[in-house]
Amino acid sequence: MARPLGETALAIVVGLLVGAVIMLLWNYDPLKAYIALFRGAFGGVDQWASTLSMATPLILTGLTFLIGVKAGLFNIGAEGQVYLGTAGAVAASLFSLPPGVHLLVALLFSMIIGALWSLPAAILKATRGVHEVISTIMLNWIAVWLTRYLVNFPLVDAQRAEKTITVAPTSRFPVLVPGTELTLAIALSVVAAVVVYYFLWHTSLGYQFRAVGLNPEASRYAGISQLRIIILALVMGGMTAGLAGATQVVGRPPTWALYGTLANIINLGFNGLAVAMIGRTHPIGSIFAAIFFGGLYTGARQMQIPPPPSTLPYAEQLAEVVSGGRGAGVSIELIGAIQGVIVLAVAVPGALDLIRKYLRRRRGK
Amino acid sequence: MEAVSAVRMKGIVKIYPDGTEALRGVDFDLTKGEIHGLLGENGAGKTTLAKILSGLLPLTAGEIYLNGRGLRFSGPWEALKEGIGMVYQHFALVRPLTAIQNILLGQEGGRVLSRLDVKDAEKQVVEIMEQSGLKVPLDAAVELLPIGVQQRVEILKLLYRRANILILDEPTSALTPVEVDALFEMLRQFKKEGKTVVFITHKLREVMDITDKITVLRKGKVAGVLPTAEATPEKLAELMVGTKSLPTASRSEKPFGEAVLSVEKLQVRNDIGGMAAKDLSFQVRSGEILGIAGVEGNGQTELLQALAGLRKIESGKVAINGKDIAGLGPRELFKMGLAFVPEDRRRLGLVLDFSVAENGILGMEDDKKYLGRLRQLLWTKIFQYTRRLIERFGILTPSVTTPAKYLSGGNQQRLVVGRELNKEPSLLLVAQPTRGLDVAATHFIRDLLIKMRDQGKAILLVSADLDEVMQLSDTMAVIYQGGFMKVAPAKELDRRTIGLMMGGVMPT
Repeated sequence: MARPLGETALAIVVGLLVGAVIMLLWNYDPLKAYIALFRGAFGGVDQWASTLSMATPLILTGLTFLIGVKAGLFNIGAEGQVYLGTAGAVAASLFSLPPGVHLLVALLFSMIIGALWSLPAAILKATRGVHEVISTIMLNWIAVWLTRYLVNFPLVDAQRAEKTITVAPTSRFPVLVPGTELTLAIALSVVAAVVVYYFLWHTSLGYQFRAVGLNPEASRYAGISQLRIIILALVMGGMTAGLAGATQVVGRPPTWALYGTLANIINLGFNGLAVAMIGRTHPIGSIFAAIFFGGLYTGARQMQIPPPPSTLPYAEQLAEVVSGGRGAGVSIELIGAIQGVIVLAVAVPGALDLIRKYLRRRRGK
Repeated sequence: MEAVSAVRMKGIVKIYPDGTEALRGVDFDLTKGEIHGLLGENGAGKTTLAKILSGLLPLTAGEIYLNGRGLRFSGPWEALKEGIGMVYQHFALVRPLTAIQNILLGQEGGRVLSRLDVKDAEKQVVEIMEQSGLKVPLDAAVELLPIGVQQRVEILKLLYRRANILILDEPTSALTPVEVDALFEMLRQFKKEGKTVVFITHKLREVMDITDKITVLRKGKVAGVLPTAEATPEKLAELMVGTKSLPTASRSEKPFGEAVLSVEKLQVRNDIGGMAAKDLSFQVRSGEILGIAGVEGNGQTELLQALAGLRKIESGKVAINGKDIAGLGPRELFKMGLAFVPEDRRRLGLVLDFSVAENGILGMEDDKKYLGRLRQLLWTKIFQYTRRLIERFGILTPSVTTPAKYLSGGNQQRLVVGRELNKEPSLLLVAQPTRGLDVAATHFIRDLLIKMRDQGKAILLVSADLDEVMQLSDTMAVIYQGGFMKVAPAKELDRRTIGLMMGGVMPT
């Protein structure tokens, strides 16, 4: 346990340093920028709320990828499953139900649709040996256009054609911090991560997932059906991805709807890959990785705020940044680059785990 | 014509990093223009010696002389520069590339292969094909070619690189009889052209057919060198397996019980569709060890897989305790009383990254004994069971949660064997149970098998180690190319006859 944590800490430092070098090259002050970033991400209740709400779907899509990895799959179908899962959760608002029950039905819809969308990849892999990377990428694209159709026709808001109908209040998660995007959906994500952890290490089916992932040949000799594990792993991944989509409409104010451009759910699935790698493909690690990820994006707003006047003494300038009144004035495009660098660096140890595992499996053959 | 020495290898010693002594002072002389057979059982050191000659493996001690010059290769490319090339048993071809691309691979001369170079090179290859009579469709993807043609691509690769000493490792193992004839024709042609061939095999008939001279290796040493004209299959078999007879381990003399495993006319296919097991019929009775002797790759793996529910039974009937097993998977067979110690503990018997305890329940992880009401694994119970396993089978491990990869080979094997025996099976399939183990672990495992036999279990043992089969078996079968040469009480067979049959020759 100590080694993965140490490696990840080192990777964070490296990522921050590289980001700092980039900022220096463009004449920004990295110290102010990072203070602003931290202040914006974790500086108060509202900031924490924002960060956690960003983390909510990422924990779930991180689980999608890591369940696959544990069973020896490279499942990148989360993106498309998120789209359709979101549409499914919106569809639950086409009829009315009592509060609570309605929410459960919405979540169920998203899970079922996510699972269904994983089935073609599962069946192709199990029967024809089609690699899941290929099939899930293709399914992702089909999902994009299918969801756009759903948003623009069956689920469209008659008054505002750029988005779907607003989900029924009976199907919404309660807001935890008024005025922020944080709802009880975060609890769903955390519980899901704990359940996945328990499943993988404390149930016989989870044991079979890991056995197939680590040594498919020995698993076959032990009588574990690889077909069954492949299908189940992809379907379970589809379910968590579908849920991730649901949290973006029934668990995120103020929109409570899906935009026709899919702008409020785009990339959640792919970012899940990074989250899983940062969390070293451990479900509990994914919780922290998603919060890190969420903080990185929430804090970015603060980095853009203009810096304190350079006429002030440096210590006072820093004090103003710490207080939150000022930022570092970093341009939004550069922030994107810095975020990318940090995420890449932090994902490296996890990515190496995967590469090592892959090589070991290859060598085993 | 005067015999000119091509290669002399003197006092070659090879110790692998894991401590295995593959070669213990081998001398090998190769005369120019001869076909030299290198004969021996599995593990005798044939392939290791060849890989040293072809530069793939560094040697631990010894010297290599080429035309009188002392040499030491740091890689196959250096051996190739001296004209020595090897065709490995498992081809080194890039399967989706075409034959010509494979032949030219690595010969691009440091720059990107331009179209002109290819045309030029292709012309050369066509010339070589015409000269040598090796015909290959150059533009076909290698994976679409039959094995025999793939082999020709490998040989062409060496000829294109101007190799004049060709080493062929078990070149006939995957070939059909017609392809074997064609290969031999080719080798004779090479000889006429003055090329030297090293022909590695365990098949007595082939070595008698094609070679001029034979070096026999046994357990990392030279057991004999003789001209083929003076050799007989009997003599070669004796050199290959030795003559000393081992005392059979002490055992109870109870008569055998009922047939636990009965196999009738079993046919099983291998991965590429050929028949791996042909018309096998036998029984294993309670209290009996049936040992199958044979060189690896003669159908043993496929036979065991079929019996363990891992491979389709093409035709014939297999019954365990009287019940037909057709269509049943490994789990169902375990429940019928079967246990299986597969041939490769690291690849097939264990999940190396799993802990000792996790490996201890592999195959039993859905057994109610270890599950709670939510089908959750009761780790306390599993740890208790693992500790009993550790104690009963003397497994040395720091803890039950240590990953199996950190255990020594002997302890890994104890873990596999212990797990399987703990299933209290009535039938035990065991493959290569002591491969790579030290003396203590070997003894432990062999004693255990005898004990299980005395307790009335039926045991089917497959081993490439002839000593092991002879020492443990009540009944012996010799398998060659998927069929049994003979099944007889172990007492009635001697090493020489077995050695002959392993090489495919029926003693008269």
